[in-house]
Amino acid sequence: MRLKWLLTVAGLKMFFREKEAVFWTLFLPLFMVVLFGFVKFDQFGTIQLGLTDLSHGKNEELMTALRQIKTFRIHDGTEESERKALEKGERDLVLVIPESLQPGQPLPLYWNEAKPQEGKVGELIVQQIFDDIALQSLPGVKRIQVKLQGVKSRKLTYMDFLLPGIMAMSIMQMGIFSVAFVFVDLKKRGVLRRLKVTPMKPVDFIFAHVITRLVVLLLQATVLIGTGLLFFNLNFTGNPWNLFVVGVLGAIVFLAMGFSIAGVSKSEDQVAPLANVIVLPMMLLSGIFFSRANLPGFAHWITGWFPLTFLADAIRSIAIDGASLKDVIWQILGLGLWGFASVFAAIKLFRWE
Amino acid sequence: MPDIILDVRSLKKRYDNLIAVNDISFQVFKQEIFGILGPNGAGKTTTLEMIETLRPIDSGDVFLNGLEVKKNPQKVKISIGVQLQSSSFFDKLSLQELLSLFGELYGRKVDANKLLQEVELQEKKDARISQLSGGQKQRFSIAAALVNDPVVLFLDEPTTGLDPQARRHLWDVIRKIRSEGKTIVLTTHYMEEAEELCDRVAIMDYGKIIALAEPKTLIEELLKSGFTKERVERLATLEDVFLQLTGHSLREEQ
Repeated sequence: MRLKWLLTVAGLKMFFREKEAVFWTLFLPLFMVVLFGFVKFDQFGTIQLGLTDLSHGKNEELMTALRQIKTFRIHDGTEESERKALEKGERDLVLVIPESLQPGQPLPLYWNEAKPQEGKVGELIVQQIFDDIALQSLPGVKRIQVKLQGVKSRKLTYMDFLLPGIMAMSIMQMGIFSVAFVFVDLKKRGVLRRLKVTPMKPVDFIFAHVITRLVVLLLQATVLIGTGLLFFNLNFTGNPWNLFVVGVLGAIVFLAMGFSIAGVSKSEDQVAPLANVIVLPMMLLSGIFFSRANLPGFAHWITGWFPLTFLADAIRSIAIDGASLKDVIWQILGLGLWGFASVFAAIKLFRWE
Repeated sequence: MPDIILDVRSLKKRYDNLIAVNDISFQVFKQEIFGILGPNGAGKTTTLEMIETLRPIDSGDVFLNGLEVKKNPQKVKISIGVQLQSSSFFDKLSLQELLSLFGELYGRKVDANKLLQEVELQEKKDARISQLSGGQKQRFSIAAALVNDPVVLFLDEPTTGLDPQARRHLWDVIRKIRSEGKTIVLTTHYMEEAEELCDRVAIMDYGKIIALAEPKTLIEELLKSGFTKERVERLATLEDVFLQLTGHSLREEQ
């Protein structure tokens, strides 16, 4: 036990002395959170409305009403320039108000066919404005008016989706890349061989490396969650212990994959493509940055079995929805299965020389 | 008869269709410097690695300090010190930390300073491996092989790639370690190194030992057989010139 402890301390020392590695490990996930946090992929975009008024201010009422709609971002321009912008995809809709408006004559509203959602919503709003104006001139008409009633709900933001995903992704990155690169280097430089002539038990050494990485991951998670809470209104309601359990389980899966890759690779040049083949599809398709809900049927089904999907879903449920371990039992079972498979592979494939 | 500390009997190793070590036997006495000489690929390293428990023994027996290597690999590891050809250490730890850690692998608390002093690296105790010169690295490797106060120290081509000064410095260190009671087994392909440093040498070629005796005896036997060099023996060599010009004492890169 003493030796395991000493090796772990030495491992941490070595890790923290590699300043760049520390920086990237702790801040790269944070950087991604900030970057994607600002882009705000979740928001229904504002509708880019190109507006050309050929009536020389005769329809002031209409213009004021249009400008009051917050969903519209209005670009004033000539008909030609606005239609060009529409073709380039810079506008969603272009409305040209003719010299005089004739009721009964259709008013063309040009829309960008690539953006049907924005086009439809924009059309409804514009139509509504015209109807309102028309109705106001007929005081006798009684109409039913809907009124929005605000209900306080837990407001989940994109950050609540993204940050737990990044946490899961960091566990994967750390497990696979750090173990694979470090062990191939130790193997290549003959360090493992040198250790083999000492009475040290290999399992002690592996243990120390695993614990070292778990400590770093814990630190990484703290930085991530802390920043989320302080700067991004992260809706963290999770039980840290549940998060820890799932995180460790996920780390074991990916660490074992790292050891397997280190086992079959002779140099760093072989590690990089192999690790990327495993890491990239998961990073893009496991619902880290974007929900998997939009994936087509088969892709949705298959990505549901990715270990990173299990991990990201479990972390998200626990951290944001406050799920218990029982609530994420499916994910835990999935990770457990992957854990067995990858630990078995690691034992079969890992070599000291 | 001096005490036998290493007894190798009919040792064999085969890789696919290459017989790397072909039925060799030799004994090493306590506190001697024993050299295994031979060209590259003669089987020197394979022989050492079998004795050091790094490679399985195909057939034959090795006894180290009375322990049968095949049956007690763990006990053998505890009683030997090993410097491997082209092996390295963790780079993010200082020499001092590395020695302490290696000591702990044997469950020992080591006096890192004393060990570094032994190989004349005391002023480098806070340096990293990557900051050392070739000769310093080899000397550090020897210090690391001494953490467990081993009975036998195995050095695999310790001076390969070193300049003449660094080589001579390493010889001094090896002699000093022997004088403190250790037995040393080393491999080399430098003949003058074997002649200067080793008490006895075994010459290996194609996996076999083709001669085993004191260097002096081997030379005398050769001369008795009527051997003469074609060229007249010179009283100095180019290496002597080099050392005379650049100085015998070691110049360490800082």
